[in-house]
Amino acid sequence: MRSRLLATGATLVLIGAGLTACSSSSGSGSDGPVTLDFWGWGVGYEDVIKEWNDANPDIQVKHTDAGGGDESSAKLLTASRAGNAPDLALVEFTTLPAMIVADVPLDITDYVGDIEDAFTSGTWDQTRFDGAVYGIPQDVGPMALTYREDRLAELGIPVPTTWEEFGAAARAVKEKDPNSVLTSLPASELGFYAGVAAQAGSQWWSIEDGVWTVGIADEASLEVADFFEGLVRDGAISTEPLLTPEYNAKLNEGTMLSWPAGIWAGGVFYGVAPDTAGKWAMSPLPQWTPGDTKVAYQGGSGMIVTKGSEHPEEAAEFAKWFNASEQGNKLLLDSRQVYPASSVGQEMAAESEPPALMPQQTDFYQTAADISSETIPVTWGPNVNLAKSVFEDQLNKAIADGTPWRDAFAATQKAVVDDMKKSGYEVAND
Amino acid sequence: MRLAPYLFAGPAVVLYVVFMLIPVLYAIWLSLRAYRLQAGGTFGRRVEVFVGLENYIGVLSDPELLASFGRLAIYGLIAVPLTLGLALLFALLLDVPAVRAKRFSRTAIFIPYAVPGVVAALMWGFMYLPSTSPFSYLTEQAGWGPIPFLTGSGLFGSLANIAIWGGVGFNMIIIYTSLRGIPDELYEAARLDGANELQIALRVKVPLVGPAILLTTVFALIGTLQLYGEPMTLKPMTNDISQTWAPLMTIYRDAFLTDNLPAAAASSTILALGTVALSLLILGIVNRKRFGARS
Repeated sequence: MRSRLLATGATLVLIGAGLTACSSSSGSGSDGPVTLDFWGWGVGYEDVIKEWNDANPDIQVKHTDAGGGDESSAKLLTASRAGNAPDLALVEFTTLPAMIVADVPLDITDYVGDIEDAFTSGTWDQTRFDGAVYGIPQDVGPMALTYREDRLAELGIPVPTTWEEFGAAARAVKEKDPNSVLTSLPASELGFYAGVAAQAGSQWWSIEDGVWTVGIADEASLEVADFFEGLVRDGAISTEPLLTPEYNAKLNEGTMLSWPAGIWAGGVFYGVAPDTAGKWAMSPLPQWTPGDTKVAYQGGSGMIVTKGSEHPEEAAEFAKWFNASEQGNKLLLDSRQVYPASSVGQEMAAESEPPALMPQQTDFYQTAADISSETIPVTWGPNVNLAKSVFEDQLNKAIADGTPWRDAFAATQKAVVDDMKKSGYEVAND
Repeated sequence: MRLAPYLFAGPAVVLYVVFMLIPVLYAIWLSLRAYRLQAGGTFGRRVEVFVGLENYIGVLSDPELLASFGRLAIYGLIAVPLTLGLALLFALLLDVPAVRAKRFSRTAIFIPYAVPGVVAALMWGFMYLPSTSPFSYLTEQAGWGPIPFLTGSGLFGSLANIAIWGGVGFNMIIIYTSLRGIPDELYEAARLDGANELQIALRVKVPLVGPAILLTTVFALIGTLQLYGEPMTLKPMTNDISQTWAPLMTIYRDAFLTDNLPAAAASSTILALGTVALSLLILGIVNRKRFGARS
């Protein structure tokens, strides 16, 4: 029995090594048809793969669902260290820099010159670093406010366009209906806090001439922290975990009134509260300065070609077709059911039906296109997952103990900077 | 025929080497390495290098890891005595000759052990969440508000409860089996001497099932150190379980979320050594006591 625990530690390692066995190495001989392995999560790949394989007998793609964003990237790292990564993989924008320093993706700048105009520059910046393109954006999540149109109207509260109005709306909800709450913004949502801090002018990570600067605790971010801390302290908004049975019950009852997040929020809500369809709407995210229109992305992913691929050119060909062509974007919209990253996909979306949660909002995709036409370029650092973990634990502790949120932001900053320095990055912060 | 013993031992040795020895040695080797940045590419490249004991120093000086052992200690103080106490109580009750429906009771108490840990934790999670909890429903009807199962120090009791619910049956079977092995003559002799059922239980049965209780204690302590599934399953339901709540959760985070396998390997090695030390300590104390009593 003693050995059981030894085994636990050891199996962690073993599992890591074993995972690589799941990916079969690609490739056949020199001239015959090429087979590409592709890892991606989500729905609708059957249609995509079938359409491509039927049209391209020489480049056959084999899809594997290696788990959602987090699991998939952990497996991808291990597989590529073991030398048997797939040829292509979907990677979240937030983890792409970590993949790049681990030497997973191939620099595909030379392959993608002909699709440069397919994406806005803000979108390219999610997969392009210092002029080198490491992936092709697939889907994006420009930030928006998904809210209960009927409940806000019933309470006589206007849809907020600034964060100040958002705060006033949150307090008004509590006053008029103490059982309801405008929103919950728990500590697990690093993406949200990073996005609104970016709106306020903060850059949580930036790199210039090989030197990193971390801004998680810069003045703009700390003011963001103060603002939301004030709302939470007054009980105007909650920090309860998202999408628990408890939270979902509130969605269904109509006592949880909004979620500021990526525009994908409506799809998530439809999954857990389909009966509330038609009562929701989406509007642009509130701003810090009235009249501003820029928002950041929360979520989104791109497709990379791995360094280990024996057929990078063919792999890039497939990635370009899937993400930048008209045919591919139609599949992204209809089968994959994501909001495409490419301009052509977003134009196609503008003409399609609104999402199931808000069938009455006929201008949904037009609004979405307006929001995504100009986004704030956000650079993610090489240790976003560590930041996420520390931020969540520290902010939860601050909320529970009633200590200032600023301290949690500062503690996250310190942990991130220390980790980067330890790994050997040059960091401008003290 | 010299070959025969080796052939018989072969499969066990091969399995041991492949699935125990090599992974353990690999983990130890990995714990002495780390990913460090080298020049190249846009941001540089992280490559594996030898760093000696740096990971161990990092792990041992991490206040969060120490705090997580503190949390385990509180959890263990609730879960272990209650699990073993209830298991012993049920085993003794089932062993009383006058008790009816033994087979049924034994099965009923044992069944929770057959429920997979994650399923049990999910099921209890629903019973803890204020809006779905039947217990909180009753207290709310009484005007006392919901029970704080998942917040603050209530968590320890809630987590321990899941372990107790799942563990009592298994431990009871071990103790009960040991009880069935006690020869009837001893009871007869005790009865002739005028002992009642309670006295027989406390003076005859409990001392004789000592080894079984010791075995279950060691199992329970190791189980405590390996606490992982329950807090991990309840984590999405509450803000009060951090990513580093239990040591194994920290190891999981390092290995699979923050891409720091070497640190995870170092923590695993420390946890494994700690478990071995604790087990030996308990066995040592008990053995000394027993030998002391005999002499």
